[in-house]
Amino acid sequence: MRNFILIIRKYNFFIVFLLLQVVSAWFLVKNSTFQRSVIVSTSNNAVGQIYSAYSNVTDYLRLGVTNQALAEENARLRKADSSSFYDTSFKIMKVNDTLRKQQYEYITAKVINNSVTKVNNYITLNAGYEKGIRKDMGVISSNGVVGIVKDVSAHFSTVMSLLNSNTKVSSKIKKNDYPGSVVWTGGPPQEGVLMDIPSHAKIVVGDTIVTTPFSDFFPGGIMVGRITELGTSGESFKEIKLKFTTDFQNLSYVYVIVNHLKQEREILEARTESDDR
Amino acid sequence: MIADIIVNLFRFILLVFVQVLVLNQIEISGYLNGYLNAYLYIVFLLMLPVNINRMLLLLLCFITGLTIDLFSGTAGMHASACLFIGFIRPGFLNVIAPREGYESTLRLTMQGMGASTFLIYTGVLTFVHHLVLFLIESFTFLNFFNLLLHVITCSFFTMLLIVMSQILSQRNREAEA
Repeated sequence: MRNFILIIRKYNFFIVFLLLQVVSAWFLVKNSTFQRSVIVSTSNNAVGQIYSAYSNVTDYLRLGVTNQALAEENARLRKADSSSFYDTSFKIMKVNDTLRKQQYEYITAKVINNSVTKVNNYITLNAGYEKGIRKDMGVISSNGVVGIVKDVSAHFSTVMSLLNSNTKVSSKIKKNDYPGSVVWTGGPPQEGVLMDIPSHAKIVVGDTIVTTPFSDFFPGGIMVGRITELGTSGESFKEIKLKFTTDFQNLSYVYVIVNHLKQEREILEARTESDDR
Repeated sequence: MIADIIVNLFRFILLVFVQVLVLNQIEISGYLNGYLNAYLYIVFLLMLPVNINRMLLLLLCFITGLTIDLFSGTAGMHASACLFIGFIRPGFLNVIAPREGYESTLRLTMQGMGASTFLIYTGVLTFVHHLVLFLIESFTFLNFFNLLLHVITCSFFTMLLIVMSQILSQRNREAEA
């Protein structure tokens, strides 16, 4: 017995080594069940948190590849989607109402070309003369005013977007109806200027600006933007900065507005003016 | 003593993180079988104080290996390989000891031991660790020659990182002084 204890003492280092090796081997053998059930579950939190923090970082590094893969998939899906075929049928939402006469109709169209960086920006739509689009019709998106149709071909039309030095949209402040006109003076494609607001008009930052029915491009009350900065007031008129509600950099589907009473109104207004002379 | 513990604890945490988050993610296709991997974390075991208790050394080896195993999902593999380091280290240090033995203040670094001794010391222990690790991983003596080549290339890779880390920390120490 004494000898045995002496041997253990003498070789304790080797014995501990063997013991720990046996434990390792046991882990290794039991790997599939033991490791997953005991070790991993107890340390799961710490290890998992470290790995999730790690993947938060590495996900960013993989964004480029992921984006490309998604874009390719999108392109493939879009190709199969019905929207990539030119639709020859008419898509006009029409309400048959005998009490009220329909004044406005909306034609859906897809933006197939768009610029925001030039001084005079134009948008191309995939709908044209055949779908009932004519020159000088208003164009809106689900978020607000987009522009005015400039030219039409059989299957396409070009739209003078709000981001164009020639576009001027008759608008008003929604809460108190002071009329002015919204223009774009260049610069970032989100910011426009509301001109010709009388200096006594009470306005605050955040006020909503909508279209007026004064011009025959748009029905009244369509969103144009929100006031971001009360500009310096001139002698009698203010110049107010606003943020467009339409995201011009990210347009996809728009509605072209058909005004059925436009011709009637134009004729009447022209006659009245010529009577004056 | 306490400073030693703190330095080694810090080294342990740093090396485990580097091993798990950086080195284990590197995928350089190896010369023959599998990926070329470096296991820099063993430098923690190699740099433990020269006069450390042998039992403590074994235990630390076991814990270190098990920590790496936890992150790699390879229960026991690294623990076993690291235990071999702990088992061989005291004896091997005696073999390569200078005639008058080690001073207790000696640091087991490239600067402290001299480049050639340090390279032999880390080289042999790295080779043993990698050999055991890959043997357990493949669990067969078939294609032993291929495995040996894999061990040598990986050991070379690990040694490269060890030497680089030594040079870096040496520079830091000089900058502090």
